Amino acid sequence: MTVDTYVAPKRLDEALEAMRGGRATILAGGTDLMPQSQSGKTPLGRRLVNVRRVAELHGVVLANGALHIGALTTISELMASELVRRHLPILGEACEHFASSQIRNAATLGGNVCNASPAGDTLVPLVALGAAVELASKPNGAVSTRTVPLAEFVVGPGRTRREPMELLTAVLVPLPAAGSVQRFYKFGTRLGLDISAISLGLAAVREGRTLRQVRLALGAVAPTPMRSPGAEAALEGRPLETGVIEAAAAAARDDARPISDVRASAWYRRELVHNMVKRMLTDVAEG
Amino acid sequence: MSPKVEISFTLNGTERTVAVAPDMSTLAMLREVIGLTGTKYACGEGECGACTVIVDGLSLNSCLMFAADCDGRSVTTVEGVVDTPVGERLRDAFVQAGAVQCGFCTPGMMVQAKHLIDSLGASLDREAIKRGIEGNLCRCTGYVKIVDAIAAAAQPKE
Amino acid sequence: MGIAPEAQVETVAPHEARSPAGAKQIAKDSLIGKRIAKLDAPDKASGKTRYIHDMNLPGQLHAKILRSARVHARIKRIDVSKARALPGVHAVITAADVPYQRPLGVGKDHLPLKSDRVRSLRDEIAAVAADSPEIAAAALKLIEVEYEDLPPLFDAAEAAKRGAPLLHEGKEGNVAMTFDYAHGDLAQGEAESDVVIEDTFQLHYVTHCCMGVSGVIAEFDAAGGLTLYSQTQVPFLHKREFADVLGIDPGRIRIIQPPIGGGFGSKLDIYPFEPIAIFLARATRRPVKLVFTREEEFAVSPTRQPVVLRLRSGAKRDGTLTFREVETLHDNGAYTSWGATTPFVIMQTISSLYRVPNCKYHTSAIYTNNPYAGSFRGYGNLQGTFAVESHMDKLAEALGIDPLEFRLRNAQDPGEVTGQGMHFKSCGFKDCVRTVASRSDFQRKHREYRAQWGKPGRYKRGVGIASMLHVGGGAKIYPSDGCGTILKIDDFAHVTLMTGASEIGQGSETVLAQLVCEELGVPLDAVTVVNNDTDITPWDVGVHASRTTFIAGNSAIGAARKAREKIMAAAAKVTGHDAAVLDLRNGMIVLAADGEAIMPLAKLLRSLHFSDKAELVMTTHYYEPPSQHQDKGFKGDVSAAYAWASQVIEVEVDTETGIVRMKHVWGAHDVGRVLNRLGIEGQIEGGVVMGQGYALTEELVIENGATRNPAFRDYKLVTAPEIPEMDISFIETLDGEGPRGAKGVGEAPAICIAAATANAIYNATGVRIYKLPFTPENVYRALHAQGACERSTAGSGQ
Repeated sequence: MTVDTYVAPKRLDEALEAMRGGRATILAGGTDLMPQSQSGKTPLGRRLVNVRRVAELHGVVLANGALHIGALTTISELMASELVRRHLPILGEACEHFASSQIRNAATLGGNVCNASPAGDTLVPLVALGAAVELASKPNGAVSTRTVPLAEFVVGPGRTRREPMELLTAVLVPLPAAGSVQRFYKFGTRLGLDISAISLGLAAVREGRTLRQVRLALGAVAPTPMRSPGAEAALEGRPLETGVIEAAAAAARDDARPISDVRASAWYRRELVHNMVKRMLTDVAEG
Repeated sequence: MSPKVEISFTLNGTERTVAVAPDMSTLAMLREVIGLTGTKYACGEGECGACTVIVDGLSLNSCLMFAADCDGRSVTTVEGVVDTPVGERLRDAFVQAGAVQCGFCTPGMMVQAKHLIDSLGASLDREAIKRGIEGNLCRCTGYVKIVDAIAAAAQPKE
Repeated sequence: MGIAPEAQVETVAPHEARSPAGAKQIAKDSLIGKRIAKLDAPDKASGKTRYIHDMNLPGQLHAKILRSARVHARIKRIDVSKARALPGVHAVITAADVPYQRPLGVGKDHLPLKSDRVRSLRDEIAAVAADSPEIAAAALKLIEVEYEDLPPLFDAAEAAKRGAPLLHEGKEGNVAMTFDYAHGDLAQGEAESDVVIEDTFQLHYVTHCCMGVSGVIAEFDAAGGLTLYSQTQVPFLHKREFADVLGIDPGRIRIIQPPIGGGFGSKLDIYPFEPIAIFLARATRRPVKLVFTREEEFAVSPTRQPVVLRLRSGAKRDGTLTFREVETLHDNGAYTSWGATTPFVIMQTISSLYRVPNCKYHTSAIYTNNPYAGSFRGYGNLQGTFAVESHMDKLAEALGIDPLEFRLRNAQDPGEVTGQGMHFKSCGFKDCVRTVASRSDFQRKHREYRAQWGKPGRYKRGVGIASMLHVGGGAKIYPSDGCGTILKIDDFAHVTLMTGASEIGQGSETVLAQLVCEELGVPLDAVTVVNNDTDITPWDVGVHASRTTFIAGNSAIGAARKAREKIMAAAAKVTGHDAAVLDLRNGMIVLAADGEAIMPLAKLLRSLHFSDKAELVMTTHYYEPPSQHQDKGFKGDVSAAYAWASQVIEVEVDTETGIVRMKHVWGAHDVGRVLNRLGIEGQIEGGVVMGQGYALTEELVIENGATRNPAFRDYKLVTAPEIPEMDISFIETLDGEGPRGAKGVGEAPAICIAAATANAIYNATGVRIYKLPFTPENVYRALHAQGACERSTAGSGQ
């Protein structure tokens, strides 16, 4: 299909207006859209709506007990954000491992979320942190918004609950409670520029030797980033001792539903989940 | 054929107005519409850095950037980089350090190095340089002399 | 010696010598061994250099190739009518449109455009020339091809079995090529052995990944002469090949080589895309440009092929090697390119890297429906060295001898002639071994790391050593291994060196200029090297076998010496001094004794030119190395000199993930003599990192004949943060035949890395891995299988 309309709105309501006609493709950083459209994987719609100039979609602010991260915040901007560094260190850490300097300068958080890759670098920490996404649309002349938990928003590789006329405007992350423990791990031989074979995100609240409100997110081991209910149950409220750690690592391995592909076999991915969950929890226990 | 989009932007310090297809990449625009061939195609997927350009002060893969998105922005290619004092230092350092072999990755390395020096300045140590060019593949040099060159250029001469 | 540049780089010298008013005395100076910046670097660093991709000829069309959708099939029908009808399309051709095409490549076993049968997914069926690459691509989609599938063969062992379908008529057993070699008496060697070991090594697919993708521009003139803008590494052999394939007079073919974005052996054979571009140029009477996409480059370029190598080795209790027996199975792919001949080089490592009194060697390259194999930096030697050096470690251990001591006991000395007939006139092997061992503290580390086996801890360190032998003075695989030079000096003492040797980024242009400066006493910027046009430059065999510095260097020196003789004779006449007391320094004729400047060289040349007995200084020289073509039993001295190197590698193995980090590489290279320190360091650093990729990260995954990872995303080249610390030493043995004593080095640094890494992983973990590459999963599996991974769980290895 050829693009017959290209627009680059500067205000949110203009952008939403431009999307009302349907068959619109949203362009932000372009780092996923360009190769996917050129290879035919994601053909461009009739309208190409470049939202990068929409002022409302930029910036990171703290309000009402949550970090409100504009969808157009680039990965580089996340890394530089004092608020992210202070409150969401695992999001910053995931960004450190995100592709390359050039891509971090262009790729946006909203784009990474909407691309919905099982290996998406920001998704695992965001799921662990209990993030939600804010979606806006203009169904009948007025702007309306809704909020969807991230874990529910992503439904499969490249598929989300975003409606065709909706725009993801922000990612909302509740401020972690006092005593927050966060850990992130991405498997790869490279520091960046690597599609993860697995990644792990842990967020919990530490009380003495015990973890509560545990969220353990696993990446690249299922069609979507997932939480490990088995590992979370094994950890919740129990002291971090060797047996508990081993049980949680084994549960995470069993919860994972990886496939074998050119990057790794399913068996190896499960082994990594086990070994790295165990390593992560041991480090928390010793730290 | 898609209708073309007319855009105006600053290219290496000069205002340019061109018409581009909405799905065209900045790399294709630079090479095929404008005729600046210093920016190289080597993968088209943002994995190799040979097409790196600086847009509004930040380095990007021009193969991943829609040309239409250049509208109103400032784009610097390797041809523009070597016209700056830092770019001249970099070019001399690449030559003197032996950082160039087949040379195909070199323009992208030069542009990324310019971005690193501009953003990190003299605090750019060897480890930061290696991280900074991890998105630029080189098949000839083993990177050692490229790191040498950028480290040398990062220190302004007396 | 560290690798960081310590000294100031020599740049172009100022031209004070050309205005000799001030300069009275000029000291003798030499560029040899200094850090000389590459002559082509300033343009390359400025984005000014025009590669094929950057060139466009007026009226040019763009070509694309339709490749087979089936791995093995008969072509029942091709319909190109819709493609021909697409606006903007100028020609669509199939085999039927070029009845004159002839088989091409090393094996002459396929046509550029396949006519009735396809044998791999890279097979060319049709091609389009159009106004733009986009239109050409759209036209390809309109071509209809009907196939009838034939049974495919993806496994060389299966393909070699009796009763397997034949991929090429007359090629019984699907055998593409075999090599058999022997010296000594194997049975006697085995009888004398106290220890015998046997292992099977498995090597994987990799590919060159030149940063500049493949491309060509073909143009015919009105009289039918062809100009080809090509990336070939072998322009003169290419002319003949093209003439054969096209059925035209080779004298009418001109090959121009714009700067090449990487070679590494990938451009040694003729591949179908070039003749196809020529067919299209002929059909359209327009210049035709054909450039690959990166995906196409991955799917279509030659590979270093998978090999299964079975090695038996024996030794006596005193540490003397007794015999080696090798059998290999090479997956040749669908057609025969240079890959099938790599056993020729593996053989040298088996027979002659160490002193082996008895040796037997059999290899076969078997046709399959996989991608076909080409030549790649090292040419079989990475594979052979991996096996041999793994065995050297194992034998040493079995005998209870220190691995370093065991190697030195069997290492060659200068002057030896091996069982295969190679004569090591200069040989720094033992110096290389001792130098890397001492610089890396190998023996202490080897003992200490081994003592850590079985102890707890996530990260394990290990060191491994490996050495290599490679041709360093050309390789006489053709009847000639020579290179020609034409040299002229103009009225301003500017030298133009026309050499047959191609520059592919390795820096030969600069080294040749240096060698000429050395003879003619002119500054570096007074030399221009012309090396890219077969209508101008004299014949050469091509850039391969690490031969250019040695062969083209000697040729350039020969031409320069002839020019010097002419100049000195004229200078004697003009100045009244005896030629023997004169010298050339920095563009001046000087008295050799004290350097007193007598007259500028330019002035002398002008006086020759403008005299009534006018004469220009122009010379030619052809250098043919004193090596021999091997006999039918592969015995003989194939190179005029041999290069040696040893490397020690230190790794850290993460036993929880299988990730191997290469921390440090120590290398010692017998290079004869360092000519350009900057250039040779660059060759070695780049080769080390290419070897690192082969050992740890790179693998072209081929499944059912298809490339599963045709992108840098999943074909992992080493990136900058992963490179090891490097410590490089040069052993200067001053080879008697080498240009100023130098030997070739281009391939050497990549060769030992996988072998030394295997030995280092063993030293770290006690687990020996026989299958490359050492990716995290492969290493983890091996550790898991031997219970050597930390915190591993029970679970099947699938």
